[in-house]
Amino acid sequence: MTTAAKRRSRRLIPTLALIGVGALALSACSSGGGSGSQKESAEFAYLSSDTNTQISTVLKIVSKNQCAAEQKAQPLKISTTPGTTVDQKLQLLAGQNALPTMSTASGTPDLMKQFIKANKIVDVTKALGSDSGSILPAAMSTIKQLYGTDDAYVFPTEFNIEGIWYNKKIFQANNIEIPKTWDELVDVSKKLNAAGVQPISTDGKDGWPITRLISGYLYRDLGTDAMQKVADGSAKLTDDEYVKAADAVAKLGADGAFGSSVGSIDYNGMFNTFLTGKAAMMYNGSWSLTNFADPKQDQIGQENIGFMPFPAVTGGKGSIDDIPSNIGIPVMFSQSKYGPKTQAWIKCIANNYGDLALANGGVVSGFKVTKVPDNLSDLTKLVQQKVSDTKSSVLWFEALFSAKRTQVSQSNAAGLVSGSLSGEQFMKLVQDAQ
Amino acid sequence: MTDIITESGRPETTTTAPPRPAAAVTRFLRRLPLRIVIAFVLIIEIYPLFWTLQSSFKTQAQFLSDPFWKLPTTLEFSNYVDAFTTGQMGQYIQNSVLTVFPSLALIILFGVAAGFALEVMVWKGRGTVLLIFLAGIMIPGQMILLPLFTIYFQTQLTGTLWPLIITYTATGMPLTVFMMATYFRAIPREIFEASTLDGASIFRSFWSVGFPMVRNAVFTVALVQFFFLWNDLLIALTFTNSQSLQTIQVGLLNFTGNYGQVAYGPLFAAICVSVFGTLIIYLILNQRVMKGLTAGSVKG
Amino acid sequence: MKSVLGDKRAIVILVGPALLVYSLVILVPIFWSLGYTFFNGSIVTGFTFAGFDNFVKFALDPAAWKAFGFTIKYAVVLTVGQVVLGYLFALLYQFWLRKGSATIRTLVFFPVVLPTVAVALLFQKFFESAPQTGPVNGLLNAFGIASVDWFGHADSAFWVIVIMDIWRSMGFYAVLLYAGLVDIPDDIIESARIDGASGWRLVRSIVIPLSLPVLLSSVIFSINGTIKVFDSVLALTNGGPGNATTPLTLYMYQTAFTYGDYGYGSTIAFMLTLLCLVVTIFIFRSTRRDLTKG
Repeated sequence: MTTAAKRRSRRLIPTLALIGVGALALSACSSGGGSGSQKESAEFAYLSSDTNTQISTVLKIVSKNQCAAEQKAQPLKISTTPGTTVDQKLQLLAGQNALPTMSTASGTPDLMKQFIKANKIVDVTKALGSDSGSILPAAMSTIKQLYGTDDAYVFPTEFNIEGIWYNKKIFQANNIEIPKTWDELVDVSKKLNAAGVQPISTDGKDGWPITRLISGYLYRDLGTDAMQKVADGSAKLTDDEYVKAADAVAKLGADGAFGSSVGSIDYNGMFNTFLTGKAAMMYNGSWSLTNFADPKQDQIGQENIGFMPFPAVTGGKGSIDDIPSNIGIPVMFSQSKYGPKTQAWIKCIANNYGDLALANGGVVSGFKVTKVPDNLSDLTKLVQQKVSDTKSSVLWFEALFSAKRTQVSQSNAAGLVSGSLSGEQFMKLVQDAQ
Repeated sequence: MTDIITESGRPETTTTAPPRPAAAVTRFLRRLPLRIVIAFVLIIEIYPLFWTLQSSFKTQAQFLSDPFWKLPTTLEFSNYVDAFTTGQMGQYIQNSVLTVFPSLALIILFGVAAGFALEVMVWKGRGTVLLIFLAGIMIPGQMILLPLFTIYFQTQLTGTLWPLIITYTATGMPLTVFMMATYFRAIPREIFEASTLDGASIFRSFWSVGFPMVRNAVFTVALVQFFFLWNDLLIALTFTNSQSLQTIQVGLLNFTGNYGQVAYGPLFAAICVSVFGTLIIYLILNQRVMKGLTAGSVKG
Repeated sequence: MKSVLGDKRAIVILVGPALLVYSLVILVPIFWSLGYTFFNGSIVTGFTFAGFDNFVKFALDPAAWKAFGFTIKYAVVLTVGQVVLGYLFALLYQFWLRKGSATIRTLVFFPVVLPTVAVALLFQKFFESAPQTGPVNGLLNAFGIASVDWFGHADSAFWVIVIMDIWRSMGFYAVLLYAGLVDIPDDIIESARIDGASGWRLVRSIVIPLSLPVLLSSVIFSINGTIKVFDSVLALTNGGPGNATTPLTLYMYQTAFTYGDYGYGSTIAFMLTLLCLVVTIFIFRSTRRDLTKG
C-alpha cells in the first residue's frame, strides 16, 4: 500500500463512521485533512521519555560542540513525556503524521515494525550513507533481528548485555563456585537457601527478569533460533521442549530461589535487595552499571560485584557464549519531518555518540568508540570488553512477541515462580495471547 | 433548598432527651462504643496523612530498607528542593490551576443555564435533551480519546492547554446538567411564574431569581467536579504532549526515573505539596463546602 | 407568562452552549468510535473493514469476559460498601455526634482529595509482605498467623482494591447522605420517638424510607463511577496478578493503546457503555417506582 493510499484510507474511516451521525458531525470532519507535509521543521525537536535522561545529556553536549553547525541550522528542542505512556503517545502522533523530528522509540518491537511498515520512520542506514559504519556490527545485528529488517531504523543509544550479577563476598563466604550449568545454579540456590541467604533477587512486578530466565534456558537448550521458531510458527510455546524451560524456572521458584511475595517486588526492590547484600544474585542487563556506581544505592561496593553469563544446559544445543543483548529503548526519526538539515544532525550524532555516552555516564552504546576514557570503573571496562567480544547475540523472551503476548507473559511471570501457575499453564496463556 | 438547616438551627434535639438521674458512669459506658469508633476513624484518617508527610523526609535508602512505620532519621529537605527543581512541581501546579478553574467556571455557567432551561422552561423535546445529557454520565472516558486527539490535532489546539479545558468542560456537562435540573425541579414553579408576571425577562428570572436559589447546590456541584478534574489522569495524560503542559497528576508520574526507578523522596515531597496545599484551601472553604453539600442534597 | 417561559430564543441561548460543547466533544467522538468497532487495524498502519468480527471476538475472548466479571463484581461490592458505610457515617453524624460532627466529617471526607498515585503507594506499603513486612501482615504475625502475599492472589488483591476505594470514597458518600438526613423534618423523628420508636427501629421504619431518594441517587452515582474504575486499579495492581484484577476499562486501554488494536478496543468500550446503560436504566426505573410509592 502506498502512502497516499494509506492516507486516503485513514481519512475514509472517520468519514464512514460519521455518516451515521449526520450533518453536525461532518463539520468536525471537514476540519480534518491535509497534514503530513514534507516540509522540514525549523526546529530539531526531540521527544524524550523521562525514563531516559542520558540521550538528552549527550544531545545538549553535541549541540554546543561537535554539532554546533547543525544546531545553528536547526536548533535542538527537547520535550519530555512519562515513560509509562510512550507507546500510546507515539501511536497517536504517528496516526497524525506528527511524530517529532527525533523521538524515543517504542519499547515494543511489534509497534516499531508497524512504524517501519507504514513508512513513518527514517531508514537510518540510508540516512547515514557512508557514515553507517559508526554503528557497531553487533548492535546492527540486534536491530535487524529485532525488527526483521535489512536496514537500521533506530539509533542504538545503548547496547546492553544481560546475565547474572553476583555478590562475590556471599559466594566466598559460602564456598560457592560460579555455576556453569543450570543444574549447578539450582544446587547453588539450594545451598544458599540452606545458609539463610536469598539466592536470587528479582522483580515480579515487571516480570521480565523472570521471563528472561525462561528464554535463557531455551537458548541454551534449543539453540539460538528457539524464539525465532515460535515467531515463525514452526514451534509452539506449548511444545514439550519449551514447557520444560518454564518448568525449570518454576521449579527454581518452588525451591525458594526468589524469596517470598515475588509479585510485590518492583524494580527498585530488586536492586535494593541485591545491593544491600540480602541476595546473592540478580539477573539484569549491563545498564545496571549506573546503579552499581551510585554509592547511595550500592552498599556492597562495585568491587564485590561479579558478572557471569547465563549457565549452560547440559546436553543443550546452545553455547554459553551466546550473550543475550538489547539496545535498550532506542531513538527514531520521523519520516514526515525529515530533510537535509535533519540528515546532517543524524550523521553528526552517530559519529559522536559512542565516545560521549561512555564519557558522560559510562553508558555503553551501540556506536563505535574511538577513545576509552581512563576513569571507567573495572566493571564498566569488563562490560565494554564483553560487548566488543560478543560474536553472536540472542534476543530476550518477549522480543518477537506481539504487544499483547508481551503483556500476558510479563504479568503472569510472578505467578509462575510463586506456584500459582505451572510451566504448562503459563506457556499456554502466553501462546494463546494473540 | 437553601441553607435553612444549619448546625445552630437544631439545638432542640439535644435538649429533648429527658435528663436521666442515672450516674455519669452509665453515661460514660453508653458513650464508650461511640468513642472507640471515633478513635478508630481518627486513626485510619490521620495516620495516612502523617505517613505521607514523614515519607517525604526520608532518603531513598531509608524508604526502601526501613520498615514502613519507622520515622525518618534525618530530615531530607532536599526532597522538596528536588520536587520543585528537577520535578518542576511549580509548573504542574500552575497548569492544574489554569485548566481546572476555567473549566469549572464554564461547567457551572453552561450547566446551570441548561438545567434551568430544561426544568423551568416549557418546550417540546426537553425530556429528550435531558435524556441525551443523562446518557453521557455512562460514557467511559476512554471511548472518546482517539477521535478527540484527531480533532484537537487538526484544529491545531494540540500544544496548548485548550484541549484539557474543552474536554474537562464537556465531560463535566452530563452530571452538572442532570444535577442542576433536579435542583430546579425542587423549586416551586410559582416563584418563576410570579417573577415573569412581574414583567421580568427570562434572563432576569434566571440570573436574579433562579441562580441565587441554587447557590448552595452550585457550590456542591462545583466541589464534586473540582475533585473529578483535579484528580483526572486519563485525559491529562492523553492531551498533554510536553512537560510544560502537564498537570499535577501527570507530573507525579514523572518521578519515575531511568528504567522505572522511582525517586520516592521527591515524589512524596511533591505529593505533600499537592495534598497539603489542597488541605489549606479546603480548610478555608470548609464551612462553605459542608454547608453546600448538606444544604443541597441530590434528589432523585 | 407561558410565552416568556417558552421563549425559543432564550432556550437556545441557555441550552445552546452546554449542548454544543457536549455534542462536539462527547457525542461526535462516541459515534466516531462506534464506527471503529467495525474495523481492524491501528492508527499507524491504517484500517480495514471487518464487519462484526470484533463483536464475535469479544464474545469468544475469555480475557474480556473475565474483565467483564471483575467489573461487575467490583461495582456491586464497592457500591454496597460505599453506600452502606457512607450511610452509617451519616447516621453517626446526624444522630450521635450532632453538633460535634463537623471535624469528623472533614476528616473522613479528606481522602477524596488525595492523589490516586499517593493512595496506591500507601496501600501497597500497608499490605506489603516483602521485602518489608507491612502493618497488616505485622498484625497477623502478632497473632501467630503467617504473612499473606496480598497482591499475589486474585482474591486478596481484589479485597485490597475494595478496601482502598472504600476508604477513599466513604467520606464523600457520608456527606452526600448526611445531606439527605438533615432534610428530614425534626418533628417527624420526634413524633416517632414519642410513639416509642428508638434506635434501630427508628432508623428502619422512619429514617431509611424518608432518605430513600437520596440513597438511590447515591447508588446510581456510585455504580456509574465504579463500573468505570480505572485510576485506582492501574496505580495499585496494574490489573495483576496476571489479569486477575483487570476491569473492562483497563482492558480497553491496553487493547487500544498498548496492543494497538483500536477497533477491538472501541468494541470493548462500547460493551462497557452498554453495561452502564442497562444498569442505570434498571436503577432509574426502580427509583421512579419507589419515589411514587414514598
